[in-house]
Amino acid sequence: MDFLFPKGLHYPPEFHIPSLTGTEILRVGPLSYTNSHFTMLLVGIFLVTIAWLATRQKRDVPSGLQNLVEMLVQGLEDFVVSIGGPSARKYLPLFGTLFLFIVVSNWLSVTPFFGQVELLRAPTSDYHVNFGMAVIAWLAYQTDGFKKFGIGYMSRWFNFSGFKEGAFVGVIFVLVGLIELFSEIFRMLTLTLRLWGNVLGGEIMLVVMSGLLFLPGLAIPFVGFEVFIGVIQGLVFGLLVLMYFVLALEGHGEHDEEGAHTDVGEEHTLHLASHEQQPALQRAQAH
Amino acid sequence: MELAGLAAGIAVGFGVLGPGIGVGLATAKASEAIGRNPDAAGAIRANLILGAALAEGLGILAFVLGILLWTRIG
Repeated sequence: MDFLFPKGLHYPPEFHIPSLTGTEILRVGPLSYTNSHFTMLLVGIFLVTIAWLATRQKRDVPSGLQNLVEMLVQGLEDFVVSIGGPSARKYLPLFGTLFLFIVVSNWLSVTPFFGQVELLRAPTSDYHVNFGMAVIAWLAYQTDGFKKFGIGYMSRWFNFSGFKEGAFVGVIFVLVGLIELFSEIFRMLTLTLRLWGNVLGGEIMLVVMSGLLFLPGLAIPFVGFEVFIGVIQGLVFGLLVLMYFVLALEGHGEHDEEGAHTDVGEEHTLHLASHEQQPALQRAQAH
Repeated sequence: MELAGLAAGIAVGFGVLGPGIGVGLATAKASEAIGRNPDAAGAIRANLILGAALAEGLGILAFVLGILLWTRIG
């Protein structure tokens, strides 16, 4: 018994809860270099090495690593085309990079020594990393929207076209536009927190499960679950970014033709608020 | 503060309730839809993942709120 419980048997055991952000390794002036930065570098080196090895000697009849990478890229491309149509193929590099980086980072959170050794930590369980990715994706799709529509892109947020049909419709259009603007800014926050909460929550769950009952192997099934969640969260982050691109590039009044895909892409919380005003909007557009 | 711990527990517990029901409903309907039309499984699955992720985001927000409250305890 002493071998199993060297500090004596007491319940609940002391949990070592993972820290919420990375810990600082070294500091240069106002900038600090954390273990998340270091692990991001490792993930980057890993992915670049795989890509380099796979494309070093390309063959017409692929085998081995080249075959695996081609299958992966082909699968991602099919997915992107099935979501956004053939014109979305140009977003494959962004989507694929986000997906691969996030999935590898998520898997590191269930890898031994990551989160236990000081230098290593799963990057996506630090919200600064996720916020960086979310801000870059946000700026990229807004830039694309402005490139396509020019300054008229902002008319979806500051929409005064309804005043032609009367003061009431005009006020509703302005309010809907402001809700849209708020949800646009809110997207950065939800993208960040969804990924961070899932990965950190998984880590905490593993720690709690491994100490909850006095059964050593209780956490092992949850490791498999976390591997699955890691893929799903990588897919969700990439898919939402792709959807935001599609939504930013679609013109006004095309919501009805586009149908099922684009409706789901609306932001969830604020969608509920704007949903009641939606029929009025559509009626006004139909006239 | 013990009350902060209580608040964290209640926030996470109730916050996860709604998304749990929502994701369950979405999955049930998606399974039904795939059963009716197996050819459309790919499109349905993509929409399911998206909808489940959006519903789950609220639960995750509750979880983050719980963590923020929990860090006030110490």
